[in-house]
Amino acid sequence: MKLWYSFTKELILSSKSWYFYIELGMAIILLLVLLFVVPEDFDSKSEEYMYLDVPQVVKDRYRDNLKDEDLDEESQMVEVEADKRTFQAEFYETDESEIYILDNMEALNAFSSGERVPTVHVRVNEENQIVHTYYLQGYETQKLKNLLLVFHNRKAGYDVIEDYSDNIPVRSLYQNIEPLSDRENVIPVFLTFNGSLMSLFIIAAYIFLDKSEGIIKAYAVTASSVWHYLLSKIGVIIVTSIATSLIITIPIMGLQPNYFAMLLFIITSGFFAASLGLYITSFYKDIIQAFGVLYIVIVIMIMPNISYFTPSWDPDWIKIIPSYVMLQSFKEIISINGNIAYVLVASLGFAVLGLDIFILANHRFKKTLTL
Amino acid sequence: MIRKIFLIFKRDLKVSVRNFITLYIIIVPIIFAVIINIFSPGINDTTVEIVLIEGENVEQGEYFEQFAKVEFLNNLDEMEERVKKRDNIIGVAPDGNNEYFILSQGNEPTYVVDYVKNLVTFDHYDINVEDSQAEIVDYGRDISPLKRLMVNVATIFTSVLGGMIIALNIVEEKTDNTISAINLSPVSRLGFIAGKSLIGVFVPVVGTFLMLFITGFRDINYFHAFLMVVSSCIISIMVGFIEGINNDDVMNAAGNMKMLFLPLFGSIAGAELLADKWQPLFYWVPFYWTYKGNNLVLSDSGSLVDIMKYSGIVLVISMIVFIVLAPRIRKGLE
Repeated sequence: MKLWYSFTKELILSSKSWYFYIELGMAIILLLVLLFVVPEDFDSKSEEYMYLDVPQVVKDRYRDNLKDEDLDEESQMVEVEADKRTFQAEFYETDESEIYILDNMEALNAFSSGERVPTVHVRVNEENQIVHTYYLQGYETQKLKNLLLVFHNRKAGYDVIEDYSDNIPVRSLYQNIEPLSDRENVIPVFLTFNGSLMSLFIIAAYIFLDKSEGIIKAYAVTASSVWHYLLSKIGVIIVTSIATSLIITIPIMGLQPNYFAMLLFIITSGFFAASLGLYITSFYKDIIQAFGVLYIVIVIMIMPNISYFTPSWDPDWIKIIPSYVMLQSFKEIISINGNIAYVLVASLGFAVLGLDIFILANHRFKKTLTL
Repeated sequence: MIRKIFLIFKRDLKVSVRNFITLYIIIVPIIFAVIINIFSPGINDTTVEIVLIEGENVEQGEYFEQFAKVEFLNNLDEMEERVKKRDNIIGVAPDGNNEYFILSQGNEPTYVVDYVKNLVTFDHYDINVEDSQAEIVDYGRDISPLKRLMVNVATIFTSVLGGMIIALNIVEEKTDNTISAINLSPVSRLGFIAGKSLIGVFVPVVGTFLMLFITGFRDINYFHAFLMVVSSCIISIMVGFIEGINNDDVMNAAGNMKMLFLPLFGSIAGAELLADKWQPLFYWVPFYWTYKGNNLVLSDSGSLVDIMKYSGIVLVISMIVFIVLAPRIRKGLE
């Protein structure tokens, strides 16, 4: 009862504060950004630059192959810029890549050396064989180099090889379900950072504010216990997170997300983050001193984003950072047929961890609140 | 005048050192640098990732490892779970009598599936890297674009940090009521602002240079780097001042700080991920230009004119912000 009372009191108080409106305002800004700035799908076509230094017959064969794959089956002459110079190029656009055929070696060098993109020089050697020379930068792995080499093995173009390859059966796990678009894929990032992780920072600010205003000392003489006070603060932050998350999600995702799982996950992950914030806070006298640690924690929490957007970089150590699990869970929540079991396990994990840290923080606050 | 500015700077430095803030802000870039150094070699640039069943065909596994990142799992169920994840990993599983089938999620680009099909075929026919009609030439540039991106973001972060110290410093002075005391001292208001700002330039410049050195960017033009860091510090400082002056308590300052991070990350993501036609949306964000300028500095491919152009744009945006907000800063200091 006392807990409920102090929670509603906090809620009323914070609804009058500027901070509360910044949160709601930010959520609306994020929503507008998602709707009007982030395109449905990013431009992810790879660009390839080639120079065909081969007899006309071979050149024509290359061109015909490219035309077959081209979206409108025609090539276009375009001007491309590299290393501050302009060159002529033939341009082909296929489903997955944009291919530029350059006129001379100078242009190819401008791209490979100046623009630092991989390029291919196709030429004929002394033994009248067609050789592909790849210009790379130097940081590429041996695996990639091997891959390029094996694809140009003398035997790789034989018909029997192509037949075998074409006949390998492919089974797809999702036949009729559309995966998330790029815009939808950004939502978990916003939910993780706007909701769950900001709790960590905001609760610290809350506590220090109350400390400096002497509210905490006043608490010592009331009938309420410390954990009521701490929990009601966390409660307010979670309510704010729920509101902002719904503002962002509903207009874009409609009814697709599993809202029950979403609520559960915001509550548990928010509780975890806020408890962690409380625990860190309990070691410092004011926010300036706590700032360094909070900053480092936030930087660590941001790192899984790199792996989220660059899936090929997904080392094991990054998977134990809580925000990795949060990103993944929010993704499952908004996907059709998402793995809700994962979300439930993660929620349980965050709830248990959060509770442990909360007990620790409470223990420390009992001793240090009046400092 | 200069002496007074320097005195304020010395005083701030002393206070921040006592609070460990300066230490943090110099240490944070070093931590960034170490993290980047340790982890960026693990970043894998091949587009092909394959998952196989452990022990099912050892030879095939060894063959694939020459070309792709290979993971081994215990059974088909685990493989399905793995393939469902966000990335474009492809499963290769036995289909009876020495044949294989490919397990995909269904949303991978066709070329990824084709790569794996080809590799399965090449393995079947014993085709390897010998007898290749391709050759590879490289420029010996061993710093990957992802490492450059990480260092670039870390540099911007460091300068934003400078702005944050100022904001927190001012909020602190406000709560201690020392700002009004400044008005009685012989230091002019501009002198006060300059003195306060020095620390926000000094600390990030030291931090950034340490970080660049540790991450192996030793052959770049450090003067160019200095120009970019200083110009991005100026905008961060501006923001720091405004935050500090407009907010009466750390609570609001923290909330407002969030608004600073949105355009920061937004413009970096925009510059990296969005097509050319979307770029003008970010032209108003100074960090967008800082990011682009830093990229030139880190790849050592920009001339002095390029760098001046980018840092100039940042300065012009800073000037506009300052002119618009000068009355508020003045009022806040009263």
